[in-house]
Amino acid sequence: MNEFESHILIWLNGLSGNVKLFDDFMRIVASDYLMPLMFSMALLALWFLGKTPAQRFEYQLATIMGASALGLSNIAVWLFNITITRDRPFVDYGDQLNLLFYPPTDPSFPANPVAVGFAASMAIWKVNRTFGWWMFGLSALFGFSRLYAGVFYPTDVIGGALVGIAVYGFTTYLRRFLEPLVGSFVRLMRGLGVA
Amino acid sequence: MMFDPTTARALMESHYLVFAFLASLGTMQITVSISGIRGLWLTPNKLGTRSLGVALLATAIIFFFAQPLWVEGPWAEGSVEADSATRLWGTASLDELAAARNVNDIHGGMAGTNQAIWFPIGAALAFAVSAFVGFVTSKVSGSKPLTSDDEPVGLEALKSRNYFEILPASWRSFRSEIAVYWRIRLAGADGFSIFRILFRRNSG
Repeated sequence: MNEFESHILIWLNGLSGNVKLFDDFMRIVASDYLMPLMFSMALLALWFLGKTPAQRFEYQLATIMGASALGLSNIAVWLFNITITRDRPFVDYGDQLNLLFYPPTDPSFPANPVAVGFAASMAIWKVNRTFGWWMFGLSALFGFSRLYAGVFYPTDVIGGALVGIAVYGFTTYLRRFLEPLVGSFVRLMRGLGVA
Repeated sequence: MMFDPTTARALMESHYLVFAFLASLGTMQITVSISGIRGLWLTPNKLGTRSLGVALLATAIIFFFAQPLWVEGPWAEGSVEADSATRLWGTASLDELAAARNVNDIHGGMAGTNQAIWFPIGAALAFAVSAFVGFVTSKVSGSKPLTSDDEPVGLEALKSRNYFEILPASWRSFRSEIAVYWRIRLAGADGFSIFRILFRRNSG
């Protein structure tokens, strides 16, 4: 499996260096700033999108779930990282890869950016399918860009997506531990005129 | 690397704050124009507000990623390679612009936790600006103040009022309803809810 996915990675990364405009687009998509901000923007948008008070309340709960899942994904990835130390592809195949992104120092599995993206997307998808599918698309693009840049293996990206989805599931379960605190927080925000 | 990573990080943080503020303001304008929350509109009409939102969002992204062209930072022309350890201080060239922002957090880039601090500040500033401009717009156009507790509160009330008019009634409504809401939700909460366990112990 490792050899097979290495072939996929080397082939994908081998596509870089041909069309500079596409490489530059992937560099920007892979950056630490664009996609994470898009995920935050999507959650912020969800906060204001509801057209009725009931729908708005549901969306705002989803925003809180998404933001919490996003934070908890980082913890979940960190727990994986201290348990499984998988080297980055450029450590094993440095001479065969054209690195488009700086070489991160943390372990490769699971892909943290993808976990974060999928956790936020799940929260959005639960309340608005169309918006959610768009966000899944963006998360997948983020994962692909890091793959193309040569900093993750395909299974890191798949693992990251699964971790993100699982963490969202855990977050909804955690919310039941904390009720009625979460709903009360939205009420407080409404009292302050921001929800 | 010929610069202090903390200097580079401070520069990144200031740029990121502007990025988060403009993008949040844009996103907010697009969404409040869709949901009809007029009290937060930056322009008097829906199409203008939505167009301004799209423009602000696009400006935020373009401005943030183009800034290395004229602002000196860890992206000097000729030093922008994938590995950010060899960066020099200066302005970037157009050819290297796409990779200029890709700086490892140990070399002066921003970690996720750092972004998680600055993003809410940018979003809160964007809300404050929207609320203030909405207030000024409503004063110019002349809207009636909120008088009854039966009126909608929070964002729902912002569909027809400005932020400073809805705030007292929203807060009164919160104070009068929260205890009842808490009791009802606590009674309906799962048996393993921390608060249900705590309050049951206290009452028993």
